[in-house]
Amino acid sequence: MNVIVNESPVEIAENSTVEQLLNHLDKPLKGCALAVNQSIISRSKWSEYKLREGDQISLFQAIAGG
Amino acid sequence: MLSDAEMLRYSRHLLLEDVGELGQKDLKDGKVLIIGMGGLGSPAAMYLAGAGVGSLVLSDFDCLEVSNLQRQIGYQTGDIGADKVELMKHRLEMINPEIRVRSINVEMDEAQLLMELMMVNLVLDCTDNMDSRQMINAACVKAKVPLIVGAAIRLEGQLMFFDNRQADSACYHCLFPNSEEQTLNCSNSGVLGPVVGTIGTMQALEAIKHIVGLPSGVKNRLKLFDGKTLDWQTFVINKDPNCTVCGQNR
Ligand SMILES: [Zn+2]
Repeated sequence: MNVIVNESPVEIAENSTVEQLLNHLDKPLKGCALAVNQSIISRSKWSEYKLREGDQISLFQAIAGG
Repeated sequence: MLSDAEMLRYSRHLLLEDVGELGQKDLKDGKVLIIGMGGLGSPAAMYLAGAGVGSLVLSDFDCLEVSNLQRQIGYQTGDIGADKVELMKHRLEMINPEIRVRSINVEMDEAQLLMELMMVNLVLDCTDNMDSRQMINAACVKAKVPLIVGAAIRLEGQLMFFDNRQADSACYHCLFPNSEEQTLNCSNSGVLGPVVGTIGTMQALEAIKHIVGLPSGVKNRLKLFDGKTLDWQTFVINKDPNCTVCGQNR
């Protein structure tokens, strides 16, 4: 199935979890937060949250500056 | 209620249906702790002083450096080397002598912060590092004090509001649980002045709205600001029931 990650399409296996998507992307995830369809998914839910066709995933880093 | 001098000073608030004399009285009774007197804290503190927030507590432990002046608009070149918090206190008293300003010129530990939280009804996190942000969040959750968090780097900004008086409020730790991770700050990544100023200004706007009782669009929300496109994205922050700071098993 296809999902959108930060505006780019990504193909992943059916019923993939957030964690499986992140493993597939092989990106450094330090200090990252993740939202599916504009709703933040807590890191403690990444291993169980199942993605669906067409989900829009936003990945962004914590910023600390000020 | 308000003196003649205050009626004159705040006349542009009194004209607003959303503020008016009652709102101005609320502002006068407002007690806000602003932690960090850099690029976020400069505009936030100056706007709240101008607006007549009656009691402002400023916290920072840095001296002004020349590289701060590109974005920290409360200061001047001749101030280099002086304590930021004392410079800003003086600046705010010059803007508005009707308010009280107190300065804390040390790095607060949790015990001191918890004591300070007993004396305010709102906190603005204007700091520049993850450790401080996590410590401030945990203390505000513990003390049930509302917290408005701002952050900026490069051309990006983040804004959040956690109303810790409400049991169902999420917290900063629900969103960013790992403080030890490498995160971006102004000295390792750079930042444009108007980007950090926009976020500090939004913190002041949310603070004023909170004090006069207007609804907020950012409670349990994360707003991401893109300085390249001027677009704002909004995300819902769900309370993490397993959060070690605000969750059920803390
Ligand atoms: Zn939490």
